[in-house]
Amino acid sequence: MTHRFLCTACGKCCYGQIPLTVQDAWVHAKRFPLAMVWSPVREGSKDFNSVARFGTVVAMPKAKNLAVLIVPTAYLPPTFACPELTADNLCAIQLQKPARCRTMPFYPYREEQFQAELLAPRPGWLCDISAAAPIVFADKQIVERDDFEFELQALQEQHAIILRYAEYMFKYTPQLRESLAKVAAKPKAGQVVTSLSSFLTAIRHPDTKSIAAQQLPLLQHYADQTAGQSDLHDFHRNYLQWVKEMRFLVDRV
Amino acid sequence: MTLCPCGSKLELSECCAPILAGTPAPTAEALMRSRYTAFVLRQLDHVERTHAPEVRDDFNRAEAERLAEECVWKSLEIRRAVETDDTAEVEFAIKFRREQQDMIQTELASFRRENGEWLYVSGELNPVMPTRHVAKVGRNDPCPCGSGKKAKKCCGTTQLLD
Repeated sequence: MTHRFLCTACGKCCYGQIPLTVQDAWVHAKRFPLAMVWSPVREGSKDFNSVARFGTVVAMPKAKNLAVLIVPTAYLPPTFACPELTADNLCAIQLQKPARCRTMPFYPYREEQFQAELLAPRPGWLCDISAAAPIVFADKQIVERDDFEFELQALQEQHAIILRYAEYMFKYTPQLRESLAKVAAKPKAGQVVTSLSSFLTAIRHPDTKSIAAQQLPLLQHYADQTAGQSDLHDFHRNYLQWVKEMRFLVDRV
Repeated sequence: MTLCPCGSKLELSECCAPILAGTPAPTAEALMRSRYTAFVLRQLDHVERTHAPEVRDDFNRAEAERLAEECVWKSLEIRRAVETDDTAEVEFAIKFRREQQDMIQTELASFRRENGEWLYVSGELNPVMPTRHVAKVGRNDPCPCGSGKKAKKCCGTTQLLD
């Protein structure tokens, strides 16, 4: 079974949150407002094993275990375009763009054999999957593998850092466990968002101050952009809170 | 003349202020009280300084600063404080208001004394307290006071035991 795909540069996938590798988060700290996004998957789901491989597993008393992806994320509302998407729907940072954008539409957080279903364009997307498009997936394998392997390797290499962060958060924010259970119980996949400041603290990032200085104006910008919109209330409140935290880190002697 | 925010009913200058200024807290409870007062007065250097070394770098100061600013601190209630030589446990409840909501947080905090200074080591949020076992003593059972008589002839007809 072979699958065809060609990106037509419609720009439709350049909206909303972008999951980043830890490395990409720091590289792009001046571009994207960063947050840590936790996505739980219940045991029995087909993504459980791959999520467990890159994230953490949370034992739930009297319920199924959860595997949780913990991903540094460009934290943008779903209706917001990537700040680097140009007016003609192209990428302004094509040569430096995050691993996540390079690998699209493939997604190494999911096992390779299941990648074919990611080739189906989502509603409104203009991806070409006709016979004119090149074969990109055959015999349960990705044909052009470099970007996929690169992102996959980054996820493997950063796993120790992610586990350290998870341990830190469960120790100091035990209510996070309940939040994850609540989100996981919903029929539609949900997420829990935690702050960049907690990640910087947990992993003792040596450049905390300069990262905070890059984040501060961005968070202020997005706080302004989301003000007074009831459907973006959570985003707005988070941006405002993180503005305060980043300002403290910038001003700290 | 300002009453101390920690709820001791003492003057601030006679209670937490000297500890915030660097005088070692005489007890673990006094340190706990001063750490609460530090949040009220937004003097979080004191909170950071009184963490045990192994957890000091875990302190998310930026978040604590934000919370200190956002919350209206209502009260501190010390429910239990036990010191044994150089270790101590303090159980407490904090009432505060945040985002138009009244909140209460209980914590069982552990402390350690090092070079004469009490330090905060760890805290268990909303701890589950051991359940009290209640035994019913029948009228004809031996009296729990140890007299050897039947309960109905001794301390009472029925009695609840902890």
